[in-house]
Amino acid sequence: MRRALSLILAGLALAASPAAAAEPKPTLPPFSWAYQPVGVDERGLWMEADDLEREFRDSRLLVRDEALNSYIHGVLCRAVGEDRCKGVRLYIIRDPSFNASMAANGMMQINTGLLLRLHSEAELAAAIAHEFGHFELRHTLEAFKRRRRSTDALMWAGITGGRNGANLQLAIIGSFFRFKREEEIAADIRSFEYLAASTYRAAASPAIWERMMAEYEASAAARKLKFRNARRPSFVDSHPTDMQRMVYLKALAAEHGDGGEDGVDGYAKALAAWRPQFLADAIKLNDFGGSEYILAELARSGWTKELLAARGDLYRLRGNPRDLTVAAQAYRDAIAQGATDPAIHRDLGMVLLRSGARADAATALQRYLALRPDAADKTMVALLIDQAGATSGAAVMHAESGAPAVSPGSPANAPPEPASGGSAVAGARALAPANDGSTK
Amino acid sequence: MRPAAVTQSGEEERGVTPAVRPVLLAMTLALGCLPAVEPVAAKEKTGVMPGFTVAPSAKILLLRPRIRVGEQSTGGIFEPNADWTDQAKANMLAALDAQQAQLGNQVIMAEEPIGEDGLKLADYRALFTVLADAVERHQFFKGDRLPTKKRNGVFDWSIGPEIRDLPGVAGADYVLFISTRDEYGSTGRNIASIVGAFAGRSVTVGVHEGQAGLVDARTGNLVWLNSDNSMGGDLRTPEGAQRRVAQLLEGLPVHAPPVAATPASVAAAQ
Repeated sequence: MRRALSLILAGLALAASPAAAAEPKPTLPPFSWAYQPVGVDERGLWMEADDLEREFRDSRLLVRDEALNSYIHGVLCRAVGEDRCKGVRLYIIRDPSFNASMAANGMMQINTGLLLRLHSEAELAAAIAHEFGHFELRHTLEAFKRRRRSTDALMWAGITGGRNGANLQLAIIGSFFRFKREEEIAADIRSFEYLAASTYRAAASPAIWERMMAEYEASAAARKLKFRNARRPSFVDSHPTDMQRMVYLKALAAEHGDGGEDGVDGYAKALAAWRPQFLADAIKLNDFGGSEYILAELARSGWTKELLAARGDLYRLRGNPRDLTVAAQAYRDAIAQGATDPAIHRDLGMVLLRSGARADAATALQRYLALRPDAADKTMVALLIDQAGATSGAAVMHAESGAPAVSPGSPANAPPEPASGGSAVAGARALAPANDGSTK
Repeated sequence: MRPAAVTQSGEEERGVTPAVRPVLLAMTLALGCLPAVEPVAAKEKTGVMPGFTVAPSAKILLLRPRIRVGEQSTGGIFEPNADWTDQAKANMLAALDAQQAQLGNQVIMAEEPIGEDGLKLADYRALFTVLADAVERHQFFKGDRLPTKKRNGVFDWSIGPEIRDLPGVAGADYVLFISTRDEYGSTGRNIASIVGAFAGRSVTVGVHEGQAGLVDARTGNLVWLNSDNSMGGDLRTPEGAQRRVAQLLEGLPVHAPPVAATPASVAAAQ
């Protein structure tokens, strides 16, 4: 009896809440020029989003570069059409994770980690058209209503459900997440339709998910973790799995054909000024396998000086003895290709110092100070130079004072590291332990 | 916001194995309805820097208050309501203005700066939120007091004197931060509460939280903070807003006002 009652109540709650029945139906799409939200729910959500947008507007995490912002806005307009894109506000957030989102009120957020992982304008267009699809289809509003209905039903199942209440609750929770996944699929399809109607190559989007899968695998492998990309989503996944997305997008692409523009060069050019920064942020995540994969994918058309410098940083921070050799070579190649950032000479010097190549280290560090005489860390670097140059001197002193003669290259003869220089090297070393597992 | 019964253990849940319960709870949390977590130990509501009194005829700069008003659905999620929030903002400002004018003080609404000043202001708003949360957690809540805040009569918190550099702060004596959140129980929530009572389940109705803090505009010291999880006064009406503002400013030490008509609560606080 109790179970029957709870089923009826849950059903009623799912069918229609009284508030939803009284809500006026919006007649205009949300991207219409100067659109005003309609109904209690939509107006409430827009108000919340407006408050959130103020915080984003005033956030120090934003990339405010006007050229980059207007470039991405231009790509959005080419993808979804001039009539739709105008009202969208774009917020590029300095966050190395792969994500983008769109709020109910037309505020689009793009992480720099997304920009870093994409290879062409067509891929960027697919990603942001997906977010725009959520906006156009009012997915935030629909998800809010669905969440309310689900939690209402959860409540009734909880207080009247009796011994089967928990099973009913599981079913309700599962159906909510299934609904979320359906919204994502709808946005993927909408995005594909936009690109198919634009000048971009709609068939470009499956590659994004292929690379994401490979990146997760590379990341897990470097950590010696077992990982396999899931074919099917779990019970509480809010998105379809990457593999599912790749598969259905490939099916759409096969139907549609491979025509359209990729815009690889335009994309690379627009991001050129920012890529070193985005790479540096990604490398600081301490995800060796993932970062190495991103670098290798970007380097498919050749290792540029920026990519080489980033690779040097990645290996320098992991800091195994063999990594230092790779890092030094990467820095040297970058310098040979004309890398201009003075810091690369300092980083090379540090790597050489830790590898025991003291003379070369001193040369590199001196070059850094010559290129950046008023560097904030000049005192520390000068100490390191002293230390690097002191090797032979120390050996002579030992010999004169009658200390046991040890060859300069032997570790036993290494002079104690000065406090500041030591801490600088230790700083690099401190980042290593998390990665040590990969060498065991 | 106590949502479904998944948070409550009971014989009724024999249908699931105990192992499923934490999973259910986690998934319910993922759905966004949080169970109410009230500290068991008593919590203080107000802190004042020892010896502090609001200077006579003070200029109080009010930063844009965070006011959210909406409904609480049957299942306990927040349903934001734009109309109610707009009413609440207008009513609160009017009530605050009237109350402080009565005390001889002047409440100035801060302008919204743009550019670098806007970023700085956002930083300070965020900093105040962190500070106020820390005070609540590590001083008001006795169970988790920081060692330096344990002595009686200590109220030593600051967001730094650089707050002076914010636009509009130079001409003010104090900066006032206010945030409130009101969720009025929907019809469904009220029914669920009654049905729940029969079924032996506790379903709370409504959330009415408020926080107000006063920062010295010259030193950046937090001179007074009031934080209340069960506030009265309906911000949607002018009368209710007056009651709410009186409650929000409870415990704020003020000089004797020029006129005798002081709200009882404020007089009591003196």
